[in-house]
Amino acid sequence: MTPSEIEAYVDASAAALGLKLRPDHRPGVLRYFALAAEFAALVEAVPLSERDEPALSFAPVSPREKAQ
Amino acid sequence: MSAAALLRQDASAMADAVRGDAVSAVALVQASLDRIEATDRRVNAFTAVLRERALRRAAQVDASLASASGPRTRELPLLGVPFAVKNLFDIAGLATLAGSKIEREHTPPRDDAALVRRLESAGAVLVGALNMDEYAYGFTTENSHVGPCHNPHDLTRIAGGSSGGSGAAVAAGQVPLTLGSDTNGSIRVPASLCGVFGLKPTFGRLPRTGSFPFVSSLDHLGPFARSARDLALAYDAMQGPEGRGPHDPGCAQRAAEPVGAALALGTQGLRIGVLGGYFRQHAQPEALTAVDAVAQALGASRTVELPMVEARRAAAFLITNSEGAALHLPDLRRRAPDFEPLSRDRFLAGALLPAAWVMQAQRVRRWFALRAAELFQEVDVLLAPATPCVAPMLGTETFTINGQRLPARPSLGLLTQPISCIGLPVCAVPVWGCHPALPIGVQVIAAPWREDLVLRVAHALQQQGVAASPVAVAATAETT
Repeated sequence: MTPSEIEAYVDASAAALGLKLRPDHRPGVLRYFALAAEFAALVEAVPLSERDEPALSFAPVSPREKAQ
Repeated sequence: MSAAALLRQDASAMADAVRGDAVSAVALVQASLDRIEATDRRVNAFTAVLRERALRRAAQVDASLASASGPRTRELPLLGVPFAVKNLFDIAGLATLAGSKIEREHTPPRDDAALVRRLESAGAVLVGALNMDEYAYGFTTENSHVGPCHNPHDLTRIAGGSSGGSGAAVAAGQVPLTLGSDTNGSIRVPASLCGVFGLKPTFGRLPRTGSFPFVSSLDHLGPFARSARDLALAYDAMQGPEGRGPHDPGCAQRAAEPVGAALALGTQGLRIGVLGGYFRQHAQPEALTAVDAVAQALGASRTVELPMVEARRAAAFLITNSEGAALHLPDLRRRAPDFEPLSRDRFLAGALLPAAWVMQAQRVRRWFALRAAELFQEVDVLLAPATPCVAPMLGTETFTINGQRLPARPSLGLLTQPISCIGLPVCAVPVWGCHPALPIGVQVIAAPWREDLVLRVAHALQQQGVAASPVAVAATAETT
């Protein structure tokens, strides 16, 4: 992402989330978002297929456990 | 031996002394409280000292020893041992701060965290809550709300973080045992910089119930101590499935697999590899010297590589940034200026990450776990530095590694993040002599659920004198 793309994205997504960025916070937010974008490029470069599952799991909760 | 002298020993020796009636639990806990009083003005490891609760509990231990149930009490592994916990663990009646200003306003919990209860059931006595980076998002414990935690070996330097108080309290000889949390290195970094042993168990081993979360996908809890045998004692006391619901959804609820008896097995027959590539390129000479000293002592000459380590760290960063920020979104909206200035802007940015980045990071993480499992078919244990350097001075903004100038605060986790990203068990062992005055840690890493191996290796290194955790002299200056 270019610096201007980052600024446009950060301002639009912050507005969509109802997150008002104060002028003294915004430069730091832009800097950290740019760092995250660099990290995103690294994980997107890992060769995965559609069959590669995420490291997420969900355990259904039975009524018995809740009653314990 | 006086209670004060005993406090410079490890927890195992203290429990033995109480067991043998050489000292009472009350005297031992009083010695710990006195030591905290004498040193914490300089160290700033504690955010709350529970004098009344601790002395009451210690008196109960002594009374139980003198009663009809004395023989059974005498068998408790941590009999009368004072301990303290990072202030993200619930303590009944005390607000769970998680290093923040915001949480001061919240109602204190009615119960102790699951692991606090388990340690007290094993005979230990809680004496206080410990300083940390706000919401565990940091590696330095330069907490702006309560002041920085100082490294007991050099008070002008950081203790590491985010469990800085947990590392410093053990190094300062205030308590022999503490608990902390590790999402990206927050046990291993302060253990390295403070010169103490730290255990980050396998992800999902210990229940996090009753602790303030940071990143549910990555949060681990674990102990700090001045010996590997103490880590094993505490770890064994904390294992096992939870009896009461609702349970920690990230805990595997495995049956306890005690490691204490395995410590004496030594390292013969273990296949030990030294992590090369990224793990050597991102370390200063003293960190490499420490790994090489450990490898030599273990007879490990084989260098092995994990693929795409930068991407492992990147995955951990993205998951942490997004999950951590989402947790605090309501407060970020309402009262961002009340957050720690050192991590506030990172939290705000994390709230904005596209979901596709985070989901890719979670898929990559699974892919890396599979690649690591392949490597563990060839080796049993891996070695790597725990931090790129010894403890930086308080306020350090940047440092240089291999000619590259890096931001100091996030870069302290360069070598720990790629390991915790895939949940491997690690013992950080403290090594001396690589720097004129300061310790540095080495990560002893094994396959999932093989905490026994990392503690066996840590114990062997301590027996050989390669790893050691002396009580700090700097913290002792001026008084006591």
